[in-house]
Amino acid sequence: MSAGPAGRDARRHDVIVVGAGMAGSLLAKQLGDQGWRVLVLEAGTRTLDTWPGYLDALDTYYAATAKVPNAPYRPNAAAPSPSVLDLEGLPAGGYRAHGYFLQNGPLPYSSDYLRATGGTAMHWMGIVPRMHPEDFAVRRRYGYGRDWPIGYDDLEPHYRAAERALGVAGDADEQREGAGLPFPPGYVYPMRAIPRSYLDAVLAHRLDGAAVRERPDGPDTVLRVVATPHARNGTPDPRYDGGRGHRPAGAAGLPNYGERCVGNASCVPICPVQAKYNPLKTQATWSPRVTLVDRAVVSRVLTAANGRVRGVEYQRYDDPATPAHTTRTAEADIVVLAAHAIENARLLLVSRLAGSSGQVGRNLMDHPMLLTWGLMDQQVGPFRGPGSTSGLESFRTGPARGTRAPFRIEIGNWGWSWPAGSPGTDVARLLGIDADTGRPRGRGVFGKKLRESLGRDLGRQFSLQFAFEQEAESRNRVTIDPSHRDPLGNPRPVLTYDLSEHVKRGMAAARTVSDQIFRLLGAEDRTGYAPGPLAPGWFRHDGRDYVFNGAGHGGGTHIMGTTARTSVVDQWQRCWDHPNLYAVGCGSMPSMGTSNPSLTMAALALRSGERIHRDLRELKGPATVGRQQGGRP
Amino acid sequence: MTATTRPSVLAEPPFRVPADRADLHLFLQAALALEHLTIPPYLTAMYTLRPGTNRPAFYAVRAVVLEEMLHMALVANLLNAVGGEVLVADPRFVTGYPALLPYSRDRITVALRHFGVTALETFLRIEQPEFMSGPPGHPSTRGDEGWTSIGQFYGTIREGVLRLSAELGERRLFNGDRALQVGPEHFYNSGGEVFAVTDLASALKALRVITEQGEGVNMSVFDSDDRIFGEAREPAHYFRFNEILQQRSYAPDDTPAGGPTGPAVDVTWHDAYPIDPGARVAHYPPGSAVRRAAEEFNEVYAQLLCVLESAFTGAPRAIGDAAPVMLRLRHLAERLYRNPHPDPAKRARGLHASATYEVTERHFERARRFVPRRRAG
Repeated sequence: MSAGPAGRDARRHDVIVVGAGMAGSLLAKQLGDQGWRVLVLEAGTRTLDTWPGYLDALDTYYAATAKVPNAPYRPNAAAPSPSVLDLEGLPAGGYRAHGYFLQNGPLPYSSDYLRATGGTAMHWMGIVPRMHPEDFAVRRRYGYGRDWPIGYDDLEPHYRAAERALGVAGDADEQREGAGLPFPPGYVYPMRAIPRSYLDAVLAHRLDGAAVRERPDGPDTVLRVVATPHARNGTPDPRYDGGRGHRPAGAAGLPNYGERCVGNASCVPICPVQAKYNPLKTQATWSPRVTLVDRAVVSRVLTAANGRVRGVEYQRYDDPATPAHTTRTAEADIVVLAAHAIENARLLLVSRLAGSSGQVGRNLMDHPMLLTWGLMDQQVGPFRGPGSTSGLESFRTGPARGTRAPFRIEIGNWGWSWPAGSPGTDVARLLGIDADTGRPRGRGVFGKKLRESLGRDLGRQFSLQFAFEQEAESRNRVTIDPSHRDPLGNPRPVLTYDLSEHVKRGMAAARTVSDQIFRLLGAEDRTGYAPGPLAPGWFRHDGRDYVFNGAGHGGGTHIMGTTARTSVVDQWQRCWDHPNLYAVGCGSMPSMGTSNPSLTMAALALRSGERIHRDLRELKGPATVGRQQGGRP
Repeated sequence: MTATTRPSVLAEPPFRVPADRADLHLFLQAALALEHLTIPPYLTAMYTLRPGTNRPAFYAVRAVVLEEMLHMALVANLLNAVGGEVLVADPRFVTGYPALLPYSRDRITVALRHFGVTALETFLRIEQPEFMSGPPGHPSTRGDEGWTSIGQFYGTIREGVLRLSAELGERRLFNGDRALQVGPEHFYNSGGEVFAVTDLASALKALRVITEQGEGVNMSVFDSDDRIFGEAREPAHYFRFNEILQQRSYAPDDTPAGGPTGPAVDVTWHDAYPIDPGARVAHYPPGSAVRRAAEEFNEVYAQLLCVLESAFTGAPRAIGDAAPVMLRLRHLAERLYRNPHPDPAKRARGLHASATYEVTERHFERARRFVPRRRAG
């Protein structure tokens, strides 16, 4: 492989943003609107922002055998993405990692991401709960993990800004009462809450007000089914924004196509009507001062004197299937890494930057997920609507956090699709096809009998998805090894990952809670955890078996803190060591609580945007900004 | 009034400018029926596309259908704004097909045809832009000639609204209950959005949207979605259909006379299920799966009209319930059209089974079990 002649981008930019995912797209939008010239470099392709490209992804998904999060998106050798299919469980426990990641930890890091325009938010679920105020101070309050340098109140206005940018549908009063989240008085979300699923209603009827105990002698925890905020189009709330209302964003790539969520039930991996927010919608509103260059893999950040950075070096390729590329550089006053926690860490490590604290790449986190599943005693209408529309919020905080990880319980609307591959596996089983080998093994049922059997059982399937807070641990980390490179010659991420006792105790408590919930529901528990090819996340703890999954919520690799000695970035996500280098995204989070992190990531990015705007004004003087046409000072 | 004594068709508006409020109600109810008349043929073209094929055509027809639905909602808002009462869930509202296109100089037959050249040629006739003929009584229009175009029909309504607003006063003309208005929270981003009609300005805007989305603005190819809604402007309906027929899209500077000169549009005419335009449920063997699906389709279509009537007669939020009903229609259509016609002779000609839109009082009775009527009395 060879790099062509180095070309320099003739146009100078105010800001370079590395990555056209959610954080990068929102930042570029904000800075472009303020009049700054922004260059966005995206490692992947931008096929998805055309409607035929989007339909191609849909077709690829429909034809895929394994409907995993990256199933719709074409492989790209030049900018490879990890896949959850890369992990293989071994027969007696343990795992083997294939694909983009190298893994050497006791347990596998089981999440993926997507390198393409729109990033991982192309296949996200679109669930956007805020973090709990206590999540920002877990070390101070509960003695584990790491604390944020800022609190909920600092971030609250940015939460509102993020909810505006993503067009969130939710019920603030219910979030206040049911999840304990503070909102300003009178606040309403841009859109009214997405309707609850029928399953939610059945569970609420049987669980609301009931109590469970994590230990026989422990305190009661009262259950309540609480509707979840979503970044997907529903019914705009005319009360929003002081009565100005909210205008939902339509699909990117097809004019005047603005469907609301109609329950197609494939948010992950792709919403067929783009009712779900994705960053392409933000990109469609970028000012002309924002330039997107796709197929541009940033290979390192370039330094100048005094610890400042001057730009980036990137590899431009034409054909995602071949490693041929030319190497170029681009310069700007400020560089923002917004490439995903693991890619940001990889870039800092490759560039040997921001390393004075020794924390780059460390504190890798996810939301480890424990799934339990069963059959209700009645039809509950699964496989319709968003993957989850409600949750049980009672275990997200409180004194028990001192002894075990907190968790949030998502009520899964898609039957056993996640834990057991339903409905495909149910059909295969009834046809007499062996799940592991795919070979016919015996007599199956066909025709009417098959349909009746499926109708009877599939309609009763439900699952509970327990998402655990994983605390920052310096042993969980991203490193690089020059001997393992991708086709463009960039070092691949090497991951070391494990679950702490704190998390495992949380899982044990969750299993106890799950058992009681199943009893309250009168449901038949079909949960089973055994090692095998499809269970790379199997482990034993305290005499019981568990299998955990990844949530796709990678974070913590360039952690935020109060001093340069102990953290990589400051409260503005600015690298302590480099005053004009920002690393934004979930990588900055010292703790993620039990909230799906994208909303918090978006709020942080918008907050950093304000700081970057001030930095640029200080660097370039107000005159520069005053010259910008149509800019908002 | 019972079903047996009332007329089987809606009263036709007279060939004159609406002279009083009752006249205007008659015109607007007729406009509502006219907007609806086009929906079954357009849906038929869309549903006869083999799933996954002819995507540019699918999205073009879909966009037009959505705008016809928008027009229905805007006409309903206007009718409510002037104190009228909307009638939608009624056999008299649903024409039989083939139907004769009203308010036109020429005899234009509108049938339920599969996606293809014949269907598109009819659609072009329906949406054809014309120099607006003056309203009845205008010096340019000789007295007894009758309607010449849909544009003239809407121009007449506009003239009536203006005159009545001047005669009665704007506030007296727009005396309808505001709570009946369907707003943008229920229909948005689909080539415009629904807005409340409460005064002369919003009434004229509604009429402008309806004519300009169909025929284009000022002899141009494009509609005015950019100016009215801040959305992307698109070719008006006539020109969107013409793009498919010509297999070429309009470039930004194209004129109606010059024809489309933009990029090619990929159309595969054979990727459609040919159907019998005269199909009736009675043609399908009793008890057959095709018969059941065709019956169910008509019943669900009746449910859709019941939902719309609820939304237009006091429960605006009910319009959200139309989405799941339309998804059922789409699902039933996929199940129905893929079947070869049960009749051996028709099957030999390659014809497929199809939805018939024969929606009778019986269908409405059954549909109302799922969608209770909210109308008082």
